[in-house]
Amino acid sequence: MTDTIIVGAGLSGLSAAIRLAQAGAKVTLFTFGLGGIQLGQGTIDVLGYSLAGSRPTPADTAITDPFAAMSQHLTGHPGHPYATVPLASIRDSVDWLAALVPDLLTPGDGVNHMVPTALGGLRPTYLIQPSMTWSNPSSIAVVSPRQIKDFYPRLAAANLTKTAHVDAHGYHIDLPARPGEVDSSPVAYATALDRSDFARRFVELVANAIADEEVIGLPAILGLHPDTAESIARALGRPVVEFLLPPPSVPGMRLNVALTQRAKDLGVRVVIGSKVTGFTSAGAKVTGVVVAQAGRDQTYPCDHVVYAPGGFESGALTMDSYGGVRETLFDLPVVGATAEDLITGDYWADQRLFACGVAVDSAMTPLDVLGQPIYTNLHAVGGLLAGAVRWTEKSGDGIAITSAVRAADAIVSPGVTPTTNERTR
Amino acid sequence: MFESTSHEHNLLARASLDQCVKCTICETQCPVMAVTPAFSGPKFVGPQAERYRHGESVDHSLDYCSSCGTCTLVCPQGVKIAELNSVARAAMKKDHMPLRDQLISRTIMMGAVMRPVAPIANAVLANGAARWMIEKVVGVHRKAAMPTAHTRTFASWWKKHTPAQSATAGKVVFFHGCAGQYFEVETSIKAVEVLEHLGYEVVVPPQGCCGLPLQSNGIFDTARGYVKTLAERLNIADDVPIITAAGSCAGMLKHEAHEIMGVDDPAVLRVGGRTREISEFLLDLADRGKLPLDFSPINLEVVYHVPCQVKGQGMGKPALELLRLIPGLTVVDSDATCCGIAGTYGLKKEKYDVGQAVGKPLFDKVRDVNPKLAVCDTETCRWQIAAATGAKVVHPVWLLHQAYGLS
Ligand SMILES: Cc1cc2nc3c(=O)[nH]c(=O)nc-3n(C[C@H](O)[C@H](O)[C@H](O)COP(=O)(O)OP(=O)(O)OC[C@H]3O[C@@H](n4cnc5c(N)ncnc54)[C@H](O)[C@@H]3O)c2cc1C
Ligand code: SF4
Ligand code: SF4
Repeated sequence: MTDTIIVGAGLSGLSAAIRLAQAGAKVTLFTFGLGGIQLGQGTIDVLGYSLAGSRPTPADTAITDPFAAMSQHLTGHPGHPYATVPLASIRDSVDWLAALVPDLLTPGDGVNHMVPTALGGLRPTYLIQPSMTWSNPSSIAVVSPRQIKDFYPRLAAANLTKTAHVDAHGYHIDLPARPGEVDSSPVAYATALDRSDFARRFVELVANAIADEEVIGLPAILGLHPDTAESIARALGRPVVEFLLPPPSVPGMRLNVALTQRAKDLGVRVVIGSKVTGFTSAGAKVTGVVVAQAGRDQTYPCDHVVYAPGGFESGALTMDSYGGVRETLFDLPVVGATAEDLITGDYWADQRLFACGVAVDSAMTPLDVLGQPIYTNLHAVGGLLAGAVRWTEKSGDGIAITSAVRAADAIVSPGVTPTTNERTR
Repeated sequence: MFESTSHEHNLLARASLDQCVKCTICETQCPVMAVTPAFSGPKFVGPQAERYRHGESVDHSLDYCSSCGTCTLVCPQGVKIAELNSVARAAMKKDHMPLRDQLISRTIMMGAVMRPVAPIANAVLANGAARWMIEKVVGVHRKAAMPTAHTRTFASWWKKHTPAQSATAGKVVFFHGCAGQYFEVETSIKAVEVLEHLGYEVVVPPQGCCGLPLQSNGIFDTARGYVKTLAERLNIADDVPIITAAGSCAGMLKHEAHEIMGVDDPAVLRVGGRTREISEFLLDLADRGKLPLDFSPINLEVVYHVPCQVKGQGMGKPALELLRLIPGLTVVDSDATCCGIAGTYGLKKEKYDVGQAVGKPLFDKVRDVNPKLAVCDTETCRWQIAAATGAKVVHPVWLLHQAYGLS
């Protein structure tokens, strides 16, 4: 049995933990706080846009087939994380993840879905939750409780009319999640909707508020329980589509809970609230990680480490006041960090800082400036990897899953991972 | 060392407030916010309100925070939210500390007073009319879980005790805590017997309260004195581990004295670094292949619930892993955030309903899986789960004791 330590409980850390545990490895996952899944939208992006820079222009259209568009995208983006893996492995990895949570993610069919956002835009994503199906309706009633502060149904409807050429109308209902609550968090609302008596009242009010539109759009608050959205749709007797909201993301929480539970069920030891602050090594091998626990530092020996700490947003990458960019735990070289103008004053311009990160080979082993592995049993995955601005491309989820799967497979069967890029599908 | 509870004193926690990126993760996990709209939640009363506190409290819903520590644990930016709240609450209540909060914080006094009259004390606490009176006069909810007093203390057992075998594995200090001295005597005895069975020479220096109940009720000055005295007593030698079956008191020694009350006393820090909850200690042995695994099977299914104060120590759920080594025993993780007692929070008449709502998912699971027996590491949580479900709730060491053939 191999002893593997995972650092981080975001999409990449959990994916790696589950994949390794499925292969019989003994896995301990350390995380400082929850990972980013519930800050995302609860869908899985693979590749949504292929922009020349960071600035989207009206000519930039959403990608329909992310796998077909991949080769061309990578030609324009050398050093992209997807370029380190065989292209076929991207789709395989994402399909593998979807199969882990069949109640929650619809199986991928090779093409992107468009999903409606809080502002009434449509954005591309690859795997969706069933409650997010956008069927190109001819008319839609966008409805929200007044108590949900981050969703304005009339605004969303007005924008949808332009972005999706749909006959859209906005309506409010008045139903506090709890008596007297004027300002409900999406989570409080979702918890209330998980109770059938409350859901019944909600359905009544929605049904009374709308006209005879074909589809009903609701903010993404339809229960933390995976079945709630469907039973609400059934009660309403019309197709329902959830609109993505800013965090806290209820669909993101559904996904986070389901994957975390999956990891625990497979025997992964999850230790939350401890930061990994150091490591021990012998030559080119990491021999253990140092964890800052209450009152003391504890060293945990290991055979392999999957380092899944995210990027700047989680503090794994930092920039000091002189503009120096560093990776904070293993002091891995950061690719792109020495370029001029990493950040510019123009918000929409190409912010090169956010493509900075760690370079890896196809086993996700971090490389030094000469392209040589630094520690042979260390694997870096997810948001830490160099070469992509994930939120403009809509690629972060796919990168996290694919890199995690590659790292896990390289640990379980070291010989099998090809060391050269295969750019074929 | 700070002697006041003014908001400035807690530099460690205050320094973290700017790290908040308003991601809302803490809000999604706070067990109190989930059950009552009366509490505006960790992000608001924590980093947000703290910015505006200059001795004045800006949001009195802060008092609903149970200090369970979940928010600090889940915050990916390292904001010490629960610690900020604890200090701010202490400052808010400083001039009008309720008599009730003063009383229930003094476990030793309660234990010492109840012990000689244990049958009477237990009868009074079991009497509905008396409890109604106590609720009216003192403010402890009439249905709240109260400890059962025993006529025997751990100390009286220890005085007459001789180990069954001679020590081969070195010395450990046993820290029993107040509950382990007066109310949870059986747990202390079983812990000592397990350690001795594994070959340890168990030393029990005279000891007092760690000050945790006072700290959680915001009575910091007295609590600081308690924890320092305790640390001096436990600090018998630099290389002797300090083992306890009182998981929350372990948390006080390991980090809360320092992080919440600003105690920098060297003895406290040294003792904190050597303190181990007994399951943590034994799992570490198991991980290193040094724990004898000659357990006899226990054919049972039980819920195990990890208390907030054990989770807060950043070591995962050692008892869960350890109990899973016992053949025949199916241990179901409660996966519940908090049992709702949060020290003494759930006893208070104005918080009782909140505490019960917080604990409901856990109680339901216990009733579902095994309504007769459940497992949990800290005493107040055990009392809470037992009172709500009628199950007998034991410390994990009870099952280890049985599996080693000691009971
Ligand atoms: C504002 C923003 C918008 C985005 N929008 C999109 C989008 O639309 N589509 C898309 O696909 N991607 C998007 N991304 C990117 C996407 O969020 C990330 O690529 C993805 O979440 C990375 O997942 P991860 O598992 O690598 O890291 P994370 O989810 O960040 O998880 C990292 C985990 O590691 C923990 N950790 C870090 N260091 C340590 C340590 N030393 N010890 C212990 N634990 C540690 C952290 O606490 C955290 O739990 C966006 C990112 C940002 C910041
Ligand atoms: S989890 Fe931390 S960073 Fe996020 S809102 Fe709460 S305090 Fe702020
Ligand atoms: S300590 Fe517990 S109750 Fe208080 S704000 Fe944090 S999570 Fe909520």
